[in-house]
Amino acid sequence: MAGLVETFGAGAMTNSIGEIRDADFLFVIGSNTSEAHPIIAMEMKRAIRKGATLVVADPRAIWMTSIAEKHLQLNPGTDVWLLNAMAHVIVAEDLINREFIENQTENFEQVKETVASYTPERAEEITGISADDIRWTARQYAMTEKAGIYYTLGITEHAHGTDNVYALANLVLMTGHLGKPATGMNPLRGQNNVQGANDAGATPMFYPGYQRVDDPDVQAKYEKSWGVPLSPVPGLNLNEMMKTVGEQMRGFFVMGEDIVLSEPNVLELEKGLNKVDFIVMQDAFMNETARFADVILPAAVFAEKEGTFTNSERRVQRVRKAVEPPGEALPDWEILVMLANKMGANWSYKDPAEVYAEMVKDVPQFAGISHEKLEKIDAGEESIAGLQWPCPDADHPGTKFLHEDGILRGKGLFMPVHYIPPAELPDEDYGLFLSTGRTLYHYNAATQTRRESGLDVKQSEAFVELHPSDARKRGVHHGDIVEVTTRRGSVQLRAILSRQVRPGCIWMPLHFAEARANVLTNDVGDAVTGTAEYKVCAAEVRLVKSMPGNETFFPGSYYFEKGPGLQRVGD
Amino acid sequence: MSKLTLNEQTICFAEGETLLDVASRQGLEIPTLCHDPRLEPAGACRSCLVEVAGERLMTPACARVAQEGMVVATENERIDRHRQTLMALYMTDHPHEREISEAGSPDLLLDMAAEFDAPMDWGWMEPMRGDREDRNPYVDFNPDTCIACARCVRYCEEIEGVSAITLAGRGSHTTISTVEEKSLLDTTCELCGGCIDVCPTGAMNEKLPLMRGQKPERELVKVRSTCNFCGVGCQLDLNVDLEGRDGQGQIVKVTSPPPGTTTNDGNLCVKGRFAYDFVHHKDRLTQPLVRDEDGVFHPTTWDDALERAAEGLLGVAERHGADALGFVSSSRCTMEENFLVQKMARALFRANHVHQCAAT
Repeated sequence: MAGLVETFGAGAMTNSIGEIRDADFLFVIGSNTSEAHPIIAMEMKRAIRKGATLVVADPRAIWMTSIAEKHLQLNPGTDVWLLNAMAHVIVAEDLINREFIENQTENFEQVKETVASYTPERAEEITGISADDIRWTARQYAMTEKAGIYYTLGITEHAHGTDNVYALANLVLMTGHLGKPATGMNPLRGQNNVQGANDAGATPMFYPGYQRVDDPDVQAKYEKSWGVPLSPVPGLNLNEMMKTVGEQMRGFFVMGEDIVLSEPNVLELEKGLNKVDFIVMQDAFMNETARFADVILPAAVFAEKEGTFTNSERRVQRVRKAVEPPGEALPDWEILVMLANKMGANWSYKDPAEVYAEMVKDVPQFAGISHEKLEKIDAGEESIAGLQWPCPDADHPGTKFLHEDGILRGKGLFMPVHYIPPAELPDEDYGLFLSTGRTLYHYNAATQTRRESGLDVKQSEAFVELHPSDARKRGVHHGDIVEVTTRRGSVQLRAILSRQVRPGCIWMPLHFAEARANVLTNDVGDAVTGTAEYKVCAAEVRLVKSMPGNETFFPGSYYFEKGPGLQRVGD
Repeated sequence: MSKLTLNEQTICFAEGETLLDVASRQGLEIPTLCHDPRLEPAGACRSCLVEVAGERLMTPACARVAQEGMVVATENERIDRHRQTLMALYMTDHPHEREISEAGSPDLLLDMAAEFDAPMDWGWMEPMRGDREDRNPYVDFNPDTCIACARCVRYCEEIEGVSAITLAGRGSHTTISTVEEKSLLDTTCELCGGCIDVCPTGAMNEKLPLMRGQKPERELVKVRSTCNFCGVGCQLDLNVDLEGRDGQGQIVKVTSPPPGTTTNDGNLCVKGRFAYDFVHHKDRLTQPLVRDEDGVFHPTTWDDALERAAEGLLGVAERHGADALGFVSSSRCTMEENFLVQKMARALFRANHVHQCAAT
């Protein structure tokens, strides 16, 4: 988010989901699209059926690699090497878009110098991807007119996640794949309202609409609007808050997140939480965080309240109440109003539409969006539901793809980046790379999906994927119970032998409370965003209990070596 | 721009458009069963046959590409007769009773037969497609109402891309199956439920509402909302039984809006379509709770809980400064709620320690 704001002037998907089907080249990096964003994967499958080329860069084989032209199976955390080497090829072979660079960007020379030393041959040594494949990918990307980049947390959940984003943005800027349909740079958001929560200002650096808290003009605007003095000092990001729990941080209001399951290096966090004075938790379910809470406020879920979510493609869409909440549970917004008033505020919002109206009043790029207008659009048949920002006035139809009339920042900013290895690498004691992620059948802390019987049939328990060669060295067989240990903690769970992971790498889903991946993960945060390095840390695996007769244990039919592939039109 | 004549009107069309596309644009209704705008035309169900001047046989509008100078009729006596005959033939092995054919999802074939006033008495052949049990948790298949139009099979291959289901058998034995009749759980199926959604005759159904004896879709109220899982923002229709839960409303199933109207283009994934049980789950928090001296939670009133929450937060700010308070907002909650949390932190405590789990 921050990386894109810095380079392009807007932290969101530059293009729309509906354009993906028209792309001719798809570069998917750090995104297990078919499991984490199945509907976007469907759009990609459509493009591929029509003849588009897919390249997947991921240390792990995923469903999408089975339909990819190439799978760049890079060593974990070496993304900057791969991306800089691609930039190197594009510069060296003069595949850059000179006109675009001259008219619309700045700082190209610095990036050109930086990537000069990132030759494909050296990249091959470090990333494990052949120089030929790097060259081929760089050429295809640069020379295809409709070429789009799609990424998720495999790019950002690193100690150097923002560097990864810069490296990708450099590729986009040097080829000019921006401001046109079916191209661009597209972060696929993991939660329903990631985009919206950031848009709405739930971030320590920004007021709503990415207006900096340390900008005196912005501060003055909000002081006038809210009638109170405000602080110009950027707050702590979540990672920093979690690291100072019990020290600087002595009290929390936590809404709709299970920090104890979702934050990294959780055993350390739990020690800190024991020292906290007071925690209010507002949620629909009991969760792990409740163990530390003093007051629990029961909240409604999405189907029980009104409001809006903003999706990955900047589309604001309505959430509508379908049923009554159980018992005394109330919509979060109502609770917030009551709580604020108990603390001396004088809030009188009568519905979410009024809250939304107050928000957009001070954000020019959202100013044309209102609940009323969304209702009108959804009732009509002419356009797709919802409204995409920027939408500066009530007559504006919304914006399908960004940067059409020039980059929003004014000039696209090239940011030179150098490779810095992940904060923790395998060594003698912890010989394996551990990555964590999501599966198709569960979702985050799984308070919702594990309460659905059907999903439990498909994937009922935690597991760790281990390459057969690593398993052999450790005497582990498919279905055995193993212990995964890192410097921060250990968990016990099933091992499944899989060639989806590279030798030397293990992977586990983050959903299961009885084998919490975040006991293991490293809480080192990105310097800019504070996002933790969930994707790489050093781990070791040890056999705890043989489970003979469990050779056929799979969590559902999850395991595969190679997907079925897609039939192309005309094949 | 090329032109053709459609029901005696001259119409312009773009290259590659089918006769069905052209007719729909003119607001003409041509009946279809196997057609889906997302799929390659199959021309399988024969309900969209139209007449092209100079051709002896009628032609499927869904598959026939418009050509310059074509003279097309979508309605005349011969087409009417064809539709009646076709429906009458379909009805010789398709249940006539709505209670049977529409236990779950709607059956368009019954509507269509009624609309064209098709004879329902051309005899009865017991369906010969067999019955198959499948231990998968979501998808129920009733071969008796299947017309083997293969819309589900084509969806599974062309859109979801997993090719888990296939046509099996021949002639009147043709049915939908999997390779070696495996359970869907043991195939490449990702349980997206798209087969249920595209089925025009209600042969593919959601298992849980059937097992739970819930009302058929036709009696439910659809509330359009946005999915609460990933960041794609699929629009979905929550199908609500208004009388359920003692009049509090109960979500019975989730269906996708029609293709072409929302970002998800009529598609949903396994979570969006099936993971709604958490809404009415018994584990939901239903009362405000406060931790008392004894260290355990006790139910209390809203007023008391809010009072305690406010005191606690204000107390921390008093003792350690407002900088000691952290506000963790949520990317799962709405725009409005996130706005209020950051306003609470900033306007009430004059601090910017507000964030949520997703800021990358």
